Amino acid sequence: MDMYLASVLTNMTLIAFLALSAYLVLVVGEVSFGQQAFFGIGAYITASATALAGAHVFWGLLAGAIGGASCALVLGLLTIRLSGIYFAISTLCFAELLRFFLLHLRFTQSVDGRIIGPDGPEGFSNIRWIFENNYQVTDFLLLAVTCLIILLIVLFSLERSPIMLGARMVGNDPILAQSQGLNPTRYRLSFITLSGAVAGFGGGLFALFNTHIEPAMFGVMLGIHGLAYAVIGGLGSAIGPLLGVFLDIGLLESIRSLAAYRMIIFGGLVALLLVFRPEGIISPRLVSHLKSRWRNRHV
Amino acid sequence: MDMLQTSIDGLMIGSTYALLGLSFALVFGIMRRINLAFGACLLFGASLAIYLEPILGWGAWGLFFVTIVGVALASAYVERLCFAPHSKRHGAVTAMIASFAVWMQLDEISSQLLPQRTHAFQGIEVPNLWWGEVFVRGDQLLHFVIALVSILVLYLLLYKTRLGLLIRATADSPETAHLLGARVPWLGFIIFLLAGILGGLAAFMILSADGYVTPLFGLWSTFKGLIAMIIGGVGSLTGAVIGGLILGLVETHAGAVLGAEFRDMVTFGLVFLVLIIRPGGLMGVKIYRTDSLAQERV
Repeated sequence: MDMYLASVLTNMTLIAFLALSAYLVLVVGEVSFGQQAFFGIGAYITASATALAGAHVFWGLLAGAIGGASCALVLGLLTIRLSGIYFAISTLCFAELLRFFLLHLRFTQSVDGRIIGPDGPEGFSNIRWIFENNYQVTDFLLLAVTCLIILLIVLFSLERSPIMLGARMVGNDPILAQSQGLNPTRYRLSFITLSGAVAGFGGGLFALFNTHIEPAMFGVMLGIHGLAYAVIGGLGSAIGPLLGVFLDIGLLESIRSLAAYRMIIFGGLVALLLVFRPEGIISPRLVSHLKSRWRNRHV
Repeated sequence: MDMLQTSIDGLMIGSTYALLGLSFALVFGIMRRINLAFGACLLFGASLAIYLEPILGWGAWGLFFVTIVGVALASAYVERLCFAPHSKRHGAVTAMIASFAVWMQLDEISSQLLPQRTHAFQGIEVPNLWWGEVFVRGDQLLHFVIALVSILVLYLLLYKTRLGLLIRATADSPETAHLLGARVPWLGFIIFLLAGILGGLAAFMILSADGYVTPLFGLWSTFKGLIAMIIGGVGSLTGAVIGGLILGLVETHAGAVLGAEFRDMVTFGLVFLVLIIRPGGLMGVKIYRTDSLAQERV
């Protein structure tokens, strides 16, 4: 496979984790501008675990996911009373505070004659796992896609379980959900934590693939992109966010010849798309419509 | 003496933040929508002004008018494309994401207009003032006065005219206002124009005080406006003005005591604390408790 194509596809796969984490928060009816922070925390933890502590990559990624999840849980507990715009802005502030922490995190060590470790705004260079294990871009793509497929299988089995049904109910109307005996707070907390884990895991993969990470990468723009992918793709199914990522990065890369004007065209196209499909491409309505047609055919 | 000087600087900057906050509070308080493209509209107006400046040759006043007109036009465009089609109750997130897409678009147009990273932005020349040991920049004092006057004009517009009455009725309940004959979609358009004019004023004042424009100005002003609105209390116009002034004071004091690097973080920390301890902000407590706003989805 072409190197360029493979690296574009890998980037798409990695950003898909971020989009899925934004999707998980949107499902319980909240908007988060802070998923990029969990992505960044995961990246730093996985990088530290593999490059500094020499841990196996599996433990590194797991630690990244747990780190992202615990930050998300802290955020969820602090903002337990908030919703709507209040929640959205507090996630933004929380994410910027975490990024500030990363900007001032200095813990460098010399390993095999190389200085590695987080070094303030300079970031974390020389994450050499991918070289040490002789991973080509295509190999890494395969790894990332495998992880994404496993995550999708988990999400799809969730989709069929009462958990996701409850979460969607909480997202649509918390008071109604409460009257049906569901605990909205518990759903919110667990989905926010889960979203942190997904973002942290994706961040870990991102660190391994990029070999260099710095706090400036995890700014609010990254988070809003993830959010936008989830909304454009639609909240009907976990495929939605992936479609959003594919549309954005895929289309942008394919009209590279128009480089200077592509955002002008693309931004307008997305806004127009949302005029015609306000709930995203794969909207919850479309999914339930397709499901009922499928059922009728097989009665 | 230093404290006094810092406080005066803070109030001067804070008056422009108050205008940014007011623009957000107008849109959110009345339409319950967040316009992420707000900063990009400001950047677009400023870029257009700088681009047209050599052609028109009107100097600082030309920049002033073109910036305001440019921002108002961009704001009207955003309203038509991103907010008018999503006026239903559940359209808030969609409208926000659509405005994000247009943000990208306007950013790109601005960078086509201004290809370099920084561009000089001329201000109106006013002599500086020394008042004993206190120093006040002439142009900032002028900006402070302009900000106060525009807040006063907005107040008169909202509380003394028929249009203002319609706007306030829509803020209370769009359905009722519609039933009583108000053209709610048209009012939405007017509100975006108003927010654009206020934002254009703020953009001119901030940029001419700084003396230059960078592409980061868009994101920066969106942040400042949102934060000023949140500190004051979501949806309250008075709150947005006070929030802007407080933001200016906190920023300059934090910058003077802790250094420029910590300035933004102190602000974010403050907003986070305000949100988790007193979600309604300074003025919005009653709104938060009684209105359905707090339960409403973004």
